[in-house]
Formats: sequence, C-alpha cells, structure tokens
Amino acid sequence: MVSVSDFAGRDVITVNEFRRDEIVFLLDAAAQFEQVTGTLLAGRVIATLFFEPSTRTRLSFESAVGRLGGSCVGFAEAGVSSQAKGESLADTVRVVEGYSDLLLLRHPLEGAARLAAEVAQIPVVNCGDGAHQHPTQTFVDLYTMQRECGRIDGLHVVFAGDLRYGRAVHSLVSVLTLFNARITLVSPQFLRLPEEQRRTLETLGVEYREMESLEASLPEADVLYMTRVQRERFTDPTEYDKFKDAYTLDMSVLQNARDSLAILHPLPRVQEIAREVDVHPHAAYFRQAHYGVAVRKALMALILGHADKVLA
Amino acid sequence: MSETYLVNKLRDGSVLDHLRAGTALRALGALNLPPERTISVGIYLKSGRLERKDIIKIDSHQLTEEDAAKIALISPHATLSLIRNFKVVNKIELHPPLRFRGLIRCPNHACITRAESVRGSWLVMEREPVSVKCEYCDRTVPSDLFRFG
Repeated sequence: MVSVSDFAGRDVITVNEFRRDEIVFLLDAAAQFEQVTGTLLAGRVIATLFFEPSTRTRLSFESAVGRLGGSCVGFAEAGVSSQAKGESLADTVRVVEGYSDLLLLRHPLEGAARLAAEVAQIPVVNCGDGAHQHPTQTFVDLYTMQRECGRIDGLHVVFAGDLRYGRAVHSLVSVLTLFNARITLVSPQFLRLPEEQRRTLETLGVEYREMESLEASLPEADVLYMTRVQRERFTDPTEYDKFKDAYTLDMSVLQNARDSLAILHPLPRVQEIAREVDVHPHAAYFRQAHYGVAVRKALMALILGHADKVLA
Repeated sequence: MSETYLVNKLRDGSVLDHLRAGTALRALGALNLPPERTISVGIYLKSGRLERKDIIKIDSHQLTEEDAAKIALISPHATLSLIRNFKVVNKIELHPPLRFRGLIRCPNHACITRAESVRGSWLVMEREPVSVKCEYCDRTVPSDLFRFG
C-alpha cells in the first residue's frame, strides 16, 4: 500500500526506480492537485540548476512552485553558473544545497542527476540528463494519457521520429511495460530505439513492432507520441539534415487513424506536426505541457512532505 | 607425446592460471606491474580442466586485490596463486562481484564519470562472459570493451 511517506525526501533520478503502484499514486495525486493553489510550500526554496536550455520543464516547475507559495533560486543556462569558471557539478551541488530544500537539475551529461543525488543531503529531481532520462516528463506523459484516454492500461502507443536520442521516449517506453501497453516504434533505421532498450522489451516479453511508415502504424493506435529529431544530439550535421524531415503528421496522414487517437509530443516541435493538426480535438500536446504543472505540484509536495494536506 | 613448458618454478611471485584462452595479453595489460620483472606468458596451452587455457607467471611480485578483481572481470574462474619461497601460500579462484566501484572507465563519452572526478559504479549483469552496467548512465558494457583505469 503506497502512502505519502513513500515519497518524502525521495530522489527522482530514473523512472525505473518507481513501482507501478507508486506511479499510479502519483498520477492520482496530480489529479487532486490540478486546481490547488495557496501557501503549501510557503517558506520552501527550490533550486533550479539548468545547465541546458529548457522551457516547459523549468517554467512548469517554477509555475508549480509559485502556485504553491514557494520560491525558486537558480539559473537557466550553464554560462551564468560557476561551471563557466571551472567549478565541478559536485561542488555546485554542495553549495546550492545550503540555499534550498529541493534541487531540480538538468545537465547535458548522462548520470549527472545520480551524482548530484549522491553528493546532496537534500532531494534531487532529474529534469533531464543528456540522452539518458527525464522522469518527470514521463510522469506528465502518463498523466496526459490518463486524462485524454481515461486509462493507461492496455493502450496501443505509437512512438514516431527520433527514438534513438529521445530521452523522453526511452523513459516512457520502459514505464509503459508496467501498464501492459502495446508499443509500435516508427523511425528510420538510423534513429531506431537503442538495441539495449529493444532487448529489455524482449526480455520482459513486451509486445512491440517496428516500422518505417507512420501512415501504416496508425489504424489501431490509441496514442501517437511524436518526437522532434534533435539537432543538438547529432555530432554530424549532415546526418541531422538527412533525418530532420523524416516524418510530418498532417491531416492527410491522420485519415489513417481513429478519430479518438490522442496526439502527444513532449515539445518543442519543429515541422513534425503541421500547424493544421493543432485544431484536431485530440491534439493533446499543449494540454500535455499544461498538465506538467499539476504533476510537478504533486511531486514536489510529496517529496517535501506537504501533500497530506491536499490528498483525500 | 605430452607437452611441456619451459618455464622455471617461481621462488616468489604470482601465477594466474586457468585464464580463458586468448585473454592473457588483455589480463597482462590490466595489471599494475612494477618495471623490470620477469614475466612468462603461455597462450593456448592444453589444459585438463579447460580445453585450452592461458597462464601468466610474474616473478618477484605479489598481485593485489585490485589486480585480482580486474582479472575476475576478464576471465572468471581463473586462479591466482601467490608464491613465497617456492610454496603456494594462497590460492584463490576469481569471481566477479555483484557490484563494484572503479576498476574500469565508462566508454560512454557523455557519461558524467568522464567529466567529474568520480569513480565509476558498476552492476554486474552477466557473469560469463562478464558484462556490466554503469550505475550513472545505465550503459551496458561487454567485457571486450573494458578499459581499465
């Protein structure tokens, strides 16, 4: 039986550290936190250490803190931190933990959040570490599925685009295995889901298929998770140019899909979803970005030990 | 006709025996050895226990626990004998641990352990041949990609 005490003081580094019942508990809490504002986090200071650019993650966390009466300190790019003067991540964390109650970290290197959690005496939340993990994005994605489809169990989810470098995809695919989801992976060969992740799916006996045609993947899908081909993950710009326009979702492609197909995207998008799709009743990607506030309010309140004042 | 090997018995030193055939040179490269020691290496020798094996004899040097741990990752079930005055004073079969710190560098250039002064932390995923997973970046590394640091 999960309770608020299971989250108090907890680090959030990868989604794999969470059991299914804990994730369900968090998503239920997020639903109860959607409309909550007030002074729940009054006097609490949240540190936002963003060594890489972020819009949705950082702003939705800051919005969540603001709506619960807390305050933020931190920076939004590495150039304005002491890293620019050669300070190590470990030293930055040791300094900032003295200023705050919770540390939110985004960093370009994989495993940075794990290292920060080892060093810090306060809880650390991974807000994206290179191409590795982005657990709160995964919680937001799951919450979006729950809100848009009314369930997560048994959904048929199509992932399309850059499945190789997309950390949001890596995290979400591994968690969907806990919800008996059917998974279809749509990408060019070069951008396939990494072999290690495919092997994990096979080991777990998860039903999945791979294809290159977006149109052909859609007829039986409940959720389409589109992703951007990320220029910043390519070392060779010519490779990026080759794949940046691999898929574009427009109304003609959607003719192959059920009317109820929920369209998700972690954003930002470039050209992979045509603007005309924005008016589709199940184009959920902007709502998905907004759900981030509810999920992050609930998560921070749980970690900081204040959620019991809201949860029934 | 039986095969014999023209290697003298050690007075003092270390013997790595029952190394998986073909791993001796990698094992030798992983060890922290002082200069000017006599080292005998046998590769692809006939063996009773294994069909073929490698062997390393190091004169006048006692291998450390760290050396033994590295060899356990390269060649599980190898044996290490420490010799003093022509006698085997300690003989152990080497096995990889379930988890360990340090010893190898993560090959993932985007791993935080390549940028910060932190020792790697590893979970052993497969025991023979050994593969390990970096507990920072989650990259799985097979034994042929181990870089000992």
